Amino acid sequence: MSVEVEKKAIWRVVFLNDAVTRMSYAVMVLRKLFGFDEQTATKHMLEAHENGRSVVWVGLRENAEAYAFSLQQWHLSATLEPDEES
Amino acid sequence: MKRVEVRLSIPAVAPLLDLIKAVSDELHSTLAVPLALSDSDAELASVWGEDLLESQREDCDRLFSLFDQEFFTEGVVAFDRDNAEPVLRACAALRLRFRATRLVNIPDDTLEALEASSTMGELDVEAQKAFACFMFLDELQKIILKYLDPMAVEEDE
Repeated sequence: MSVEVEKKAIWRVVFLNDAVTRMSYAVMVLRKLFGFDEQTATKHMLEAHENGRSVVWVGLRENAEAYAFSLQQWHLSATLEPDEES
Repeated sequence: MKRVEVRLSIPAVAPLLDLIKAVSDELHSTLAVPLALSDSDAELASVWGEDLLESQREDCDRLFSLFDQEFFTEGVVAFDRDNAEPVLRACAALRLRFRATRLVNIPDDTLEALEASSTMGELDVEAQKAFACFMFLDELQKIILKYLDPMAVEEDE
């Protein structure tokens, strides 16, 4: 019996900063979508605020797409990029 | 179900609604946040675009359903668990659209200073009205996040 192992590519969901959205709103959305605690969500929000971007999730492409779509649905800008470390 | 009623000043808010509605109408066909996907995801962007526009339209409709007969007679709008999230999203989308259009000529630092002081003496009349809408939508978000934080659902039900 042979077993085929397919190595699936890993992707990042990158949350992008904007200068308009209320910070407490962004923190609430990050908590809601990703299950972060307040501290983690705030850390990502501040990282995006200071650096323009924050990687909020890493994993399979299908899931990454779902997360990025949800961020966009809440009007938080997001993009997908391959995780080059994987 | 937890419900929060807010009494607003009809003379202050009613004149803003026409402009907010005009901006809302623009969001029927334009995303508040342009998609940031790469060129290789063009097909995905096309599919998402339609779904996101539909969601945006529904959220804006929920926001405008607040301004019903009760609002125009009593000045009262009511938030509950059913409308909190769509109204939060609608306010976010509308604020982004105001910033990208009616308030586009105001530098970030000037806008921040205006928000902090809630004054708008330096703006022309049209920008003053847009800024008033921008701040009003922010106030609605603040109220919902303070009293109906969607993350607190499990805690009080």
